[in-house]
Amino acid sequence: MRNSMKVAKWEIKRNLKNKTFIIGLFITPILFLVFMFIGSMFGDSDTAESETTTVFINDQLDVYPALQEVVEQSELNWEMQTTELNESEVTDLDKEENTAYIFIDEVGLQSGIIPVYTSDEIDPYFINQVQLLSAPLQAIKISQLGLSEEEAATVMQGVAFIETTEETASVGESPDEAGLGNVERLVPGIFAGVILLSIVFTGMAIFQSASQEKKDKIAEIILSSLTPGDLMQGKIIGYFVLGLIQVVVFIGLILPFVLWKTDIPIIEYLLVPETVLLVGIAILSYLMFAAIFVGIGATMADVTTAGNFQGMVMMLPFLPFIMIGPVLSDPSGLVAQIGTYIPFTAPGVLIMRLTMLEEWPWMEIIISLAIIIVSILIFMKLAGKIFKVGILMYGKNASPGEIWKWIRA
Amino acid sequence: METMVTVEGLEKSFKDKKALKGISFEVHKGEIMAILGPNGAGKSTTIRNIMGIMYPDSGSITFHNHNGTGIPRNKIGYLPEERGLYKNVKVMDILLYLADLKDYPIDKAKVRILAYLKKFDLEGKENVSVEELSKGMGQKVQFIGSIIHEPELLILDEPFSGLDPVSQEIFKDEIRSLANKGTAILLSSHQMNLVEEMCDRLFMIQQGEKVIYGTLEDVKKQYANFKCTIHGINNIQELERIPDVLRVEQKDDSSVLHLHKDVEPSVWLKKLPDHLAINELKINRISLHEIFIDIATDKNLLKEEGVVHA
Repeated sequence: MRNSMKVAKWEIKRNLKNKTFIIGLFITPILFLVFMFIGSMFGDSDTAESETTTVFINDQLDVYPALQEVVEQSELNWEMQTTELNESEVTDLDKEENTAYIFIDEVGLQSGIIPVYTSDEIDPYFINQVQLLSAPLQAIKISQLGLSEEEAATVMQGVAFIETTEETASVGESPDEAGLGNVERLVPGIFAGVILLSIVFTGMAIFQSASQEKKDKIAEIILSSLTPGDLMQGKIIGYFVLGLIQVVVFIGLILPFVLWKTDIPIIEYLLVPETVLLVGIAILSYLMFAAIFVGIGATMADVTTAGNFQGMVMMLPFLPFIMIGPVLSDPSGLVAQIGTYIPFTAPGVLIMRLTMLEEWPWMEIIISLAIIIVSILIFMKLAGKIFKVGILMYGKNASPGEIWKWIRA
Repeated sequence: METMVTVEGLEKSFKDKKALKGISFEVHKGEIMAILGPNGAGKSTTIRNIMGIMYPDSGSITFHNHNGTGIPRNKIGYLPEERGLYKNVKVMDILLYLADLKDYPIDKAKVRILAYLKKFDLEGKENVSVEELSKGMGQKVQFIGSIIHEPELLILDEPFSGLDPVSQEIFKDEIRSLANKGTAILLSSHQMNLVEEMCDRLFMIQQGEKVIYGTLEDVKKQYANFKCTIHGINNIQELERIPDVLRVEQKDDSSVLHLHKDVEPSVWLKKLPDHLAINELKINRISLHEIFIDIATDKNLLKEEGVVHA
């Protein structure tokens, strides 16, 4: 184990001193940020237009304070002003932008139709927002009928259709809170996903590192100081730490940006028990692919000469991507369940499902975790056997037949 | 002399081919022991078995200064035949890594690395990337890597391959001085002249079998008979009739007479016929090189000699 740590330390140091690695470390999150920034710039220009709508109100019923209260409560981006202008005098609206005139008088109240004049360019949601003002006006109308406060409240309550499924009913969440809960669950899932991707990508560097060992013909020198098992473990540990460094850099760059641009309390959502399980799954996934890659890397003389067999193995981590569509559309469906039980797809599919599902299928989770852990043990053992022989076979790719022979030996 | 490592009855097969057929030898403290043999004779396989990079089918390898099981990797320095270095790292970094793997103190290693770089004409190269080194420089760095931790046993597989004569000389001197300081050295090589100059004992191997094993002196006395080279046109039958001549090789106008083992050169010279055409005459012992070529090409010089003795 001490020797493994030495190898791990060396791999970390070697990569951190390598320009290619450093550039790679920052380029992904920076590209990500650039695209996010460009996206938000376009988004900003849209919202900027809708931000200031100047609303002039000709108030003849003294409801202006009540209206103002409603606007404030609904957090509408309105700039409200009273005006003495008459309906007939509103003519120069063509020249203005984001401006509206509302005329509230006895006639309008009685007929139930309040005239609203708007400029050509106006927030597309303005006419919906205006509807909010109907409540205080209705209240006036009802009070004029002479009903008691209780009766008035009953009339005002109205009737609403609210979608209620069995699950939400039992949880007792209102639709509004459920929407928020989605984001809350998504955050740990996305976090685990980032870790999964980062360390799987870094895990692929293991593969290069193992075959590089052969290409540089240094394996025999190194193996005179430690056992192949030590070397393999050291590589797996070293690249795991490098993967975590990648995650830290990624999150360190992206998180401030997300916090700045959105109001989602990410940190709060992240510090939940669910995160531990999801991140645990991501780490297990790393161990599995690291074992596969280090073994396969040892069978190859050069990355560029990968045969069909090796190429196919390289694609394994991307299998869950094929399942993204079906799993997201039906997280409890057949494809999702099958994906949960195939070792190569289990971690990815599991993270996707747990992010989507409100009720976690614990039985499936436990079975799936057991499958992943058993696979890791098997792959580690196989990789050890392949690595031991393969790492010293210079200048030649091993055929699947040879690999099979080493495994059986 | 204290024995460092004993190899006994080593056997190893690859597929159907038996690569080693019962190899046994010892390496002593402070001596240079050479393993010689043509390509594919089993030299590297023997060494890899000692290093635990391969495991023998049968036979044993005992490290005498080592209590406990396994290979005392920290006490062994190894320079493999197929060797290289990580490309995109600094010379100092990789040497320190190799020292660290052997549990050698880092600060001590640093001092030794700088001293050796200076000794090998690589002063100031410690912060140069390995990929910028020439092949010879790379070999020197690999050599430093194998001795940086002051090993008790140093195993060198073809240390001279690819080196220019100047570098060969530097290596030779360093290996000799390590042996004088008490390091046991096991060395395999093709360069017979170098081996002849520096080794104390040798083990010659062919097709996985021992051919010769003993001190250089014994081997020479036993196998290196005198040979007489005569420049001048002579009849081969006549040359063969000269007493104590085992075999005559003729090429153009020069003839090589292989002589009997017990020949006294001064006495034998007097037996030469008077009418022999001699432009030039040379009498010397067969070199290790010739013995080696003989074995490698199966000319059966040794067997022939054996028949004579039988």
